[in-house]
Amino acid sequence: MSGENDPAQRVAIGISFGNSYSSIAFTTGEGKAEVIANEDGDRQIPSILSYVEGEELHGGQAKSQLVRNAKNTVAYFRDFLGQAFKSIDPTPCHQSAHPVQAASNVAFKIRDTAEEAENTVTVSEITTRHLKRLRNSASDYLGKDVNAAVITVPTNFSDAQKSALNKAAKEAGIEVLQFISEPVAAVLAYDARPEAKVADKIIVVADLGGTRSDVAVIASRGGIYTVLSTVHDYEVSGFKLDQVLMDHFAKEFIKKHKAGGDPRENDRSLAKLKLECEAVKKALSIGTSANFSVESLANGLDFTATINRSRYELLASKHFAAFARLVTHAVEKAQLDPLDISEIILAGGNSHTPKTASAIQNAFPETTTILAPSTSPTAINPNELSVRGAAIQASLIQEFELEDIDQSTHPMVTVTPHLSHAVGVLCISGDESSGIFHAIVDAETSLPVRRTAIIATPREGGNVLIKLCEGSRHIKVTKPEPKPKQERDSDDDDDDYDSEDEEEELREKTWKVGKVLSEAALRGVKKGAKIEVQINIAADLKVNCIFREVGGKGGVRGLLSGPKVQQNGSA
Amino acid sequence: MASVQVSLPLPVLPEGWSGERDFKAIGPLSHATDRNIEPVGPHFLAHARRKRHKRTFSEDDR
Ligand SMILES: Nc1ncnc2c1ncn2[C@@H]1O[C@H](COP(=O)(O)OP(=O)(O)OP(=O)(O)O)[C@@H](O)[C@H]1O
Ligand SMILES: [Mg+2]
Repeated sequence: MSGENDPAQRVAIGISFGNSYSSIAFTTGEGKAEVIANEDGDRQIPSILSYVEGEELHGGQAKSQLVRNAKNTVAYFRDFLGQAFKSIDPTPCHQSAHPVQAASNVAFKIRDTAEEAENTVTVSEITTRHLKRLRNSASDYLGKDVNAAVITVPTNFSDAQKSALNKAAKEAGIEVLQFISEPVAAVLAYDARPEAKVADKIIVVADLGGTRSDVAVIASRGGIYTVLSTVHDYEVSGFKLDQVLMDHFAKEFIKKHKAGGDPRENDRSLAKLKLECEAVKKALSIGTSANFSVESLANGLDFTATINRSRYELLASKHFAAFARLVTHAVEKAQLDPLDISEIILAGGNSHTPKTASAIQNAFPETTTILAPSTSPTAINPNELSVRGAAIQASLIQEFELEDIDQSTHPMVTVTPHLSHAVGVLCISGDESSGIFHAIVDAETSLPVRRTAIIATPREGGNVLIKLCEGSRHIKVTKPEPKPKQERDSDDDDDDYDSEDEEEELREKTWKVGKVLSEAALRGVKKGAKIEVQINIAADLKVNCIFREVGGKGGVRGLLSGPKVQQNGSA
Repeated sequence: MASVQVSLPLPVLPEGWSGERDFKAIGPLSHATDRNIEPVGPHFLAHARRKRHKRTFSEDDR
């Protein structure tokens, strides 16, 4: 691998590596990300390896081995990388090779050669084998030897986990150009679309996977992303939805075949049940009913049944509610209100389920756009968001020296001051004489920043005042008129009364005018003219602004010095 | 980025308002909060380039 560190020799792809599934993608010459199908035609490739008489099976083929050859099938291992054995949760591996301790590492005891003996294979080695297979699939497809990648990881992946993954990738012949976080990759996938407009908005990415759910609240400011909060949950997951269907069909089976026994009590039956239930769940994302059909489910008895979508939604309702709660929790953790959220990007496989999207939609106001297959015709496939973002990032940086990439991702560059309040102008409303704040630069914008606003003038033109201020977002709650006949005297009644009212109260996003920063005058403005205000805020909070009539001459410039440097220890 | 469009009008300048060259600085911005921006996407790369070469937005435009 002579060209490994030479950017000119790089063939870079994007990789998303989940506990359940992985994907590979590349960016075309036109800058479009494309997800690559492997030899089996899969774009969602199960992160599973299985060994049969020394032969290695991968992806979907390995997954079917969970029925006959579970002991030699390794699955759900990504989160074990770089972790001590005592700190992992082995639950997802109950129906496949169990993790064991090997020195300080996690490993699997499997028969991975033609020999009778079992080998202890570390999770690093398993990861290397998995990445090699992904790399080969991508190389076959591209007709070029892939040797570099941007890989997505969860926001809570530790440095130790990243360094273990970096090493495993290197062993697989992949130079990791950069790790990027999964939710940010999803935002990039959307922002890289040709029709996307750069804007200031708060985005939530809800990534609902097989073994875990992760939510991130992200301030997107002119294409710069800042993560404001994250939550992770290993209980609320796709597994739980599969389990609902497993219990349902197991009970149906028992009802039909009194002597057939419970398919959940036999390993092989359980594995068949689980595989088929995942397929049924996926089918219910598109169809309003789905068939369950397994040959010899238990005790040699075949079983077929159907379920309709509404039945499934009812059975799993508490899990959908849990998804919605997780998302609102992340918003609260960022100290924001649902009204602050412009978009929710639904990522991860379970975002295909229409009820997942509608449960989350119902927890947010109408002003929040839900980007999921069932709510938006232009939504990107939730399974492909991470890998598309990774492929785009790979194309952006593949020509850089690794050292330059490292320098750019260093805190010296990434830690920046962010505005604590919005900055904007005071305008006049129809009837009030007091000003109404209009934001030009939002809070949580990284500095330095430059923004321009075009503002209307009074009907007759003339001399205008431009007052620059800080503003804070305020949620105005209007309670409906209390019903007169209801007398409230005890505390108990009071509570009931409030909760009844809650649904009807009107919540709006408004602004509270804060500190005034400056005033400027523009004189003799033409009738119907518009004013352009350009604000530059430097990293040291110095403000430089230009006020001028659009199409007019001259204008007014203003300079504001930054706040005094805070003394250590003084209040 | 596209300009912010504000359709509410600006107020009329009060009688007697005066400022040096028609500008009056009143108070500084509140302190900022340090946060980590994600090293991802084309706009971040532009930021990193400016920061590493100590360039401003307008120098970058040229
Ligand atoms: N079309 C679909 N409809 C419903 N669920 C789906 C669909 N496709 C995939 N899933 C589910 O999504 C989950 C996998 O999500 P994803 O592909 O995001 O995996 P992952 O990131 O590897 O997950 P994790 O790391 O959390 O285990 C599984 O529970 C799978 O059954
Ligand atoms: Mg995932």
